[in-house]
Amino acid sequence: MRFTPSAKLAAVLATAALALTACGGSGSSSDSTGGAVDGAGKKLSVLTGVNNQYPEQQKEWFKDIAAKFKAKTGADIEFETFASANDELTRIQTSVVSGQGPDVYSLGTTFTPTAYATKAFVTLSEEDWKKVGGKDRFNQAALGISGPDAEHMAGIPFVSRPFVMAYNKDLLTAAGIEKPATTWDELAEQAKKMTNAGTGTFGLATGYKDNFDPWKFIWAMSVQAGNPLVDGTNLKMDDPTVKKAYETYFGWLTKDKVVDPAAIGWSNSNAVAAFASGKAGYLMMTTSSSVPTLDKSAIAGKYAYSVMPTTAPGETAPKGDGDKAASILSGDNVVVADYSQQKDLAFAYIELITSKEEQLNYQKIFGELPANAEALASLTDPKLQPIAEAAGKSKATPFTGAWGDIQLGLLNVTVQSIPDLANGSVDDGALESRLKDAQSKGQASLDRAAKS
Amino acid sequence: MSTDSFRELKAATGPAAEGQLARSSTAGQAPDADATPSAGTGTTQPGSRPAGRGKKPVRRKGLSERNRPLWMLIPGGLLMFVIIVIPLFLGIYMSALNLDQYTLRKWVSAPFIGVDNFVEALTDSPLLHSVWLSVSYSLIAMVVTLPLGIAAAVATQNAFKGRALIRSIFLIPYVLPSFVVATVWRTMFQPDGVVDSALGTFGMDGGLWLNGPQTYWTLILVQIWASWPFIYLLALSGLQSVDHEVHEASALDGALWWNKLRYVIFPYLKGPLALAFLIGMLHHINNFTLPFVLFGVPAPADVEVLPILTYVTSFQSFRFGLSAAMAFVSLVLIAIPLFIYLRAVKLDDAETPGGKK
Repeated sequence: MRFTPSAKLAAVLATAALALTACGGSGSSSDSTGGAVDGAGKKLSVLTGVNNQYPEQQKEWFKDIAAKFKAKTGADIEFETFASANDELTRIQTSVVSGQGPDVYSLGTTFTPTAYATKAFVTLSEEDWKKVGGKDRFNQAALGISGPDAEHMAGIPFVSRPFVMAYNKDLLTAAGIEKPATTWDELAEQAKKMTNAGTGTFGLATGYKDNFDPWKFIWAMSVQAGNPLVDGTNLKMDDPTVKKAYETYFGWLTKDKVVDPAAIGWSNSNAVAAFASGKAGYLMMTTSSSVPTLDKSAIAGKYAYSVMPTTAPGETAPKGDGDKAASILSGDNVVVADYSQQKDLAFAYIELITSKEEQLNYQKIFGELPANAEALASLTDPKLQPIAEAAGKSKATPFTGAWGDIQLGLLNVTVQSIPDLANGSVDDGALESRLKDAQSKGQASLDRAAKS
Repeated sequence: MSTDSFRELKAATGPAAEGQLARSSTAGQAPDADATPSAGTGTTQPGSRPAGRGKKPVRRKGLSERNRPLWMLIPGGLLMFVIIVIPLFLGIYMSALNLDQYTLRKWVSAPFIGVDNFVEALTDSPLLHSVWLSVSYSLIAMVVTLPLGIAAAVATQNAFKGRALIRSIFLIPYVLPSFVVATVWRTMFQPDGVVDSALGTFGMDGGLWLNGPQTYWTLILVQIWASWPFIYLLALSGLQSVDHEVHEASALDGALWWNKLRYVIFPYLKGPLALAFLIGMLHHINNFTLPFVLFGVPAPADVEVLPILTYVTSFQSFRFGLSAAMAFVSLVLIAIPLFIYLRAVKLDDAETPGGKK
């Protein structure tokens, strides 16, 4: 992430970008149901994220899949990896502009709308869907962010990474709590019972300085209160439900005092560490990727996952789509480049890696939840059950190219409120003016999206 | 970034300073002091460097000007054209396009919207605020690092036991990559982190370092820590170019340390330090890694400096056209005072060695 010596070049260089929820995968192995594609002498190029947690296993997996793909189609595969979201965006930009590059890309779900907006990737026809094994083979919830509507989908789900909360069984039992909370109000109540500032134990662990978590809370609480944030071409960030969501989220720290005051400087990994040391009842906004860390920590065997609350603050039952909004729809999609000369081969590859067998294999190696419905249903590890449940209760963030800006605006409200949080209370007027600011910027972005 | 500037430094002070850094104790062998100031122009006018190398550039000028092999500039000129001029003009062209993620695919045919991006950048974006933040923070950091660097250079000028070690230690902040520096400081500045608990032992409340108004001063503090060795290096090279005879002469005249420093030594430093000021300011203004790693994006409003703003506009909002316009506006805004400064200190004037008087 270098910046060039002069500001003018900064804008010129096609480097960088966040917004991607990095990582990505490609898949594996064969079941030879798809129509036979003769790829002898051809080579498919696949761009996927490097897996920093399991680099060796990933190399093995590449080899394994390449062999299976060769057996199935006769073609070779060349895997390329990108180390960061920046790398990937650079590759996408250069490929999009020049019309050549990898045939298949892995994309984080929240980046899919932006990629779709470039129109550089294949929108799958019925025919195409059949080539990848049919729409029905996927967990239907995972298709939620593949395109703007059911007829226009570019992203083919590869893995799911839904967000859940983890809880410390011992702390819950000690506080006389039988079941993890299912409403945000109940969560705050339970957290209060577990908080003991004297021993440094807090009810909730979450990072207010994280680059992603804050907007996910606000999004979830707003959607559960019946506000989808984006309604057609209108942004509804100045809605009372959004303000209420911020008040609840900030209130954990300022009013309920169930979060470690140091959390204003925490990112998600700090929260994981706090929870792993046994000093927190709940760990919010985590995924199955926390399993390896927690299993090596002081609370190994003493924690479990649960779906996050789906009832908005102040409500008694979820409104609208609320009960389906336990998590944002998160994971990886694969897309096929529009300029690719060997799309059938690309589809054959995707058919291979999204097959039940290969999806389960991938889950076993990397811990990622399958996007293949059958594979998902066949998971038996009880620890993974709530996560699988959350995968079915995931709701896509609004499918618009403006989402990047909206997400940034939601996050920015928290960032600019942190000094107030440190002082113990967020001024009502200040919060409103920040929301108004975010609303007008996000609306402008939506307007641009509508025009194009 | 730091290695780049070291290279620039080497290029700027020429082979003379390089040699001196290597065998610093033999300052007496320093070549003609002219080498430093005139070679300093090398950064702005690479072509004039051969003239600065000669012992008596002024006297030989007529001859060298008549038969200058200007064609030898062609390879370098061509590279400059490809690497700097073309992207610059592309950038200017981009700033007149409505270029975003919707039009990126066929970017050449993106809608042409004239000056709309410039209007938006100037009236409806935090651009001017960012320019102000960038320039003011750079200036403050610079003003503080100058005396620090000079003091460190003067302190290690005379030989003493362990000098080489001290000199190496002084360079550590400069050698560390920005990313590492920022990560370490970020960790120390966490709420209830090392800095807060250290202040706590004196009964002080540090407050928030990574959010809110204080971030501005956090940025300045870390920038100072990371960049003073650069001033130190250039000041050191200036000190090395002081002839042995000059020390002798001032000693014979009975000058005491302060007078000697003020009237004899500092004039020698004027050229290198003017250059250090320029390069340092540009580095601070363009420093992206430090604020990005320290504060993340979106940055607190108090440290939304220029590089962060252009980055967010380009790669979070995908408004490539708007951010090109922002970059161009800030380039112009910063170029004007720089131009005045260059004239004032005569760094761009090969005929008048700035370091001499």
